[in-house]
Amino acid sequence: MADIDTQSNDNSVPFYPDHVSNEAKVVIGFSVLALVIGLIGLFAPVGLGEPADPMNTPAHVKPEWYFLGLYQLLKYISKTAGAVLPIFAILVITLWPFIDRKPDTSTKAYRWRAIGVAIFMVILIAMTVWGEVS
Amino acid sequence: MKIQFRRSYLFAILGVILATFVIFFGTIGQSQAGSTPAENRPEDETAIDWTQSKAIFSENTHIILPSKYTAANLPPPEQDPCLHCHITGEDKGLWTPLVRWIFFGGAGLLFAFGIYRSSSVWVNRAPWKPITTRTADWFDSRYEISEPLSKFLSKPVPKFATRWWYCLGGITAFLFVVQGITGIMLAFYYKPTPEAAYSSIQFIETQVNFGSATRMIHHWSSNGMILMCTAHMIRVFIMGAYKKPREFNWISGMLLLLLTLGFGLTGYLLPWDQRAYWATTVATEIGAAIPIVGDLILVFARVGWDIAAETLTRFYALHILILPLVTVASMGAHFLMVRRQGVAKPL
Repeated sequence: MADIDTQSNDNSVPFYPDHVSNEAKVVIGFSVLALVIGLIGLFAPVGLGEPADPMNTPAHVKPEWYFLGLYQLLKYISKTAGAVLPIFAILVITLWPFIDRKPDTSTKAYRWRAIGVAIFMVILIAMTVWGEVS
Repeated sequence: MKIQFRRSYLFAILGVILATFVIFFGTIGQSQAGSTPAENRPEDETAIDWTQSKAIFSENTHIILPSKYTAANLPPPEQDPCLHCHITGEDKGLWTPLVRWIFFGGAGLLFAFGIYRSSSVWVNRAPWKPITTRTADWFDSRYEISEPLSKFLSKPVPKFATRWWYCLGGITAFLFVVQGITGIMLAFYYKPTPEAAYSSIQFIETQVNFGSATRMIHHWSSNGMILMCTAHMIRVFIMGAYKKPREFNWISGMLLLLLTLGFGLTGYLLPWDQRAYWATTVATEIGAAIPIVGDLILVFARVGWDIAAETLTRFYALHILILPLVTVASMGAHFLMVRRQGVAKPL
């Protein structure tokens, strides 16, 4: 825990009241946002589709937005691959701290990781949007 | 170091709790599905035995008559007997409730002012400590919590950790709390059976006070929570805050992401409309495509081979019991680790 700074000095603020009040401002901001969303909900509610009919599959069935990318991918790769790939990806991401163990020496590492994340996110968002429009 | 917390914080907290109670009980805490007084009126009034002096439960109405009514002293027949004393309903007058609101409301305001006034140092008497200090001392003399609490509260937070991208995790936790509160409000009215689910949500959106607002917040906060969780994860990844000694914290964070997606998956089925039903069918089919354990996953998720009432019940139980418990436990571990190890120092 060498990088933990436990001394109280100019580089830090006390948890209470300074940091707590900072966080409270963020919480209040998001509460206001939530209440605005609620207010919109009074006039334009979420609503429901047709009641569920197990006998009748609608034409354009799609999963929720966070699965759309995967769903679109599944149209082009085999079903088994499409099920195993996310599990493999999640496993790699979960165990990433054991794959990349080298301590960062400069902010170059941040740049490389940011580029990697950007590429990954662009692909993910593109697949999601594609899944939504098709 | 003695705890000091400001009086204005105390009043703010009390005001928020009071406002929450008022809003909650005034809106979500009551259903709008009651019948009007006209429906309570009996078909044939002569059939009621008004001569009973005890409280009776008439079979023609579901009004309980207070025991003060006797044959000689009947309530006005055109009006619901309850309305003779109470304010609710359509046949209310103006003056009685107005006088009551003014009198009791004024007394209430006077009482509130008295609390505020007596919590400050009283001018004409021997001064005493502020109520916040006295409360803190009351607890401290019994629990001796002052020392560990001040140690907890005075923990230094490094200034770099006040940048905006360090807030993303806390925002995710806050959205979880929002989901919990709006979820409880929705759970008060939702019926988890295929026959009733759809109409219970229609009921929430049309009949429950602020039901549509609560549902809208719940719907959009779920999306927001997934976005914030991902954003937090990206921030931690880019800044390499998963490296030693924080590997296990990263793993607990991944678990939290998967639990959040699980909340989304289980919650999406609950409206039981076409989109919910078939989106869940597709999602569980993807699970079924996993080799070896695919069918097992499918049957466990769907409680059978098809999506039916049992599936809805299982998804509801997962959504309101199991996933919240596991998530709270994982969040506890996650926060404890951050607290113990501190925020990772950037380069």
